[in-house]
Amino acid sequence: MKHLLAESLAIALVGGVLSFSANQLSSKGLNLARNYFPLSPSPTGNSAPVTNALSTSSDANVVASEASDQTVARLEARGLQAIDHQTTLAWFKDSAFHQELTIFVDARDDQNYQAGHIPGAYQLDYYRPENYLPSVLQAASLAQKIVVYCNGGDCEDSEFTARLLATVVPAERIFVYAGGIEEWFAAGLPVEIGARQSGALRTAR
Amino acid sequence: MLTKTQKATATKIRPGEKPSLRDWSGVLARWILGALFIYMGMTKALDPVAFLKLIRQYEVVYNPYLLNSIAAALPWFEMFCGILLLLGVAVRGSALMLILMLIPFSILVFLRAQGIAETQGLAFCSVKFDCGCGTGEILICRKLTENAGLFLASLWVVFSRNQPLCLRFDLFRPRSQTT
Repeated sequence: MKHLLAESLAIALVGGVLSFSANQLSSKGLNLARNYFPLSPSPTGNSAPVTNALSTSSDANVVASEASDQTVARLEARGLQAIDHQTTLAWFKDSAFHQELTIFVDARDDQNYQAGHIPGAYQLDYYRPENYLPSVLQAASLAQKIVVYCNGGDCEDSEFTARLLATVVPAERIFVYAGGIEEWFAAGLPVEIGARQSGALRTAR
Repeated sequence: MLTKTQKATATKIRPGEKPSLRDWSGVLARWILGALFIYMGMTKALDPVAFLKLIRQYEVVYNPYLLNSIAAALPWFEMFCGILLLLGVAVRGSALMLILMLIPFSILVFLRAQGIAETQGLAFCSVKFDCGCGTGEILICRKLTENAGLFLASLWVVFSRNQPLCLRFDLFRPRSQTT
């Protein structure tokens, strides 16, 4: 019995040291000191009326009618500006988008981004921002509207990313597309495959 | 009443003794456990962010450093134990570590499933979610049955005697006593 406990303790110690070392060496390892989830969980059952700061903006129909009430309520509770699919699409088609006065930021990881993102969207993987921040911040600093999205629904990465961007860009310029890429897909709209501005488009999933 | 020496010899295969069916079943249990834990650990280690998000959903650990540490180290630790079992190194200690992991994990998975069942008005066994176990979305009753199987297999290995095909069955016993 003593041998067994001593053996288990040795495994726990050696295994613990090796595990943390492996995390440090892994290219996908986590930063132990970082708070990845800065936003506290908010009540989702409370479906507050969907309004936001952009209601004063002339071209902003900032009502997320098609996105789930829960998602929108969560965004609102966290002080974020939610936009619905129609608004997102209108901004995507607007000339301001082509002039980069409106930019889209995809908050998903590289694999999902490469598989299909809103055409022209910048990538900013919230969990590994260091590779993406320079180009995104350059574009974001010049843009008047920054639309952040992830999968929509329960996906919170767009919210974390919006919060991250709000540390360097005025918060009133940042919007979260509540329906996310799932709603974009569901509407049958084209997505760009591979790198940004690759020109390779597809519509079906 | 067995003497201390008799107790010690009862847990190992004597030189020249042919391994019994029980010994080989221990080897099989060890290999299955080892392979499964390597697989489950690897799927999590390859995407630690996804694992981190899943752990957070349990709403048990709130401290960021602790949450990150669990998500960062646990997958590798599972693989480490799995490798030890496959190679036959510190076998009983490794199996005990699996038991020490399986018990709290199963309780947490059970409680989470119970919460989902209550919130969504589902029958308990109809609850299907990704528990962060490394097997993707799975029906809760199937997961709990799997865990019970892993628990029993681990227990079998913990109480097994020295097995064939081990590099070093006991870590802290002289090699001459373990072969």
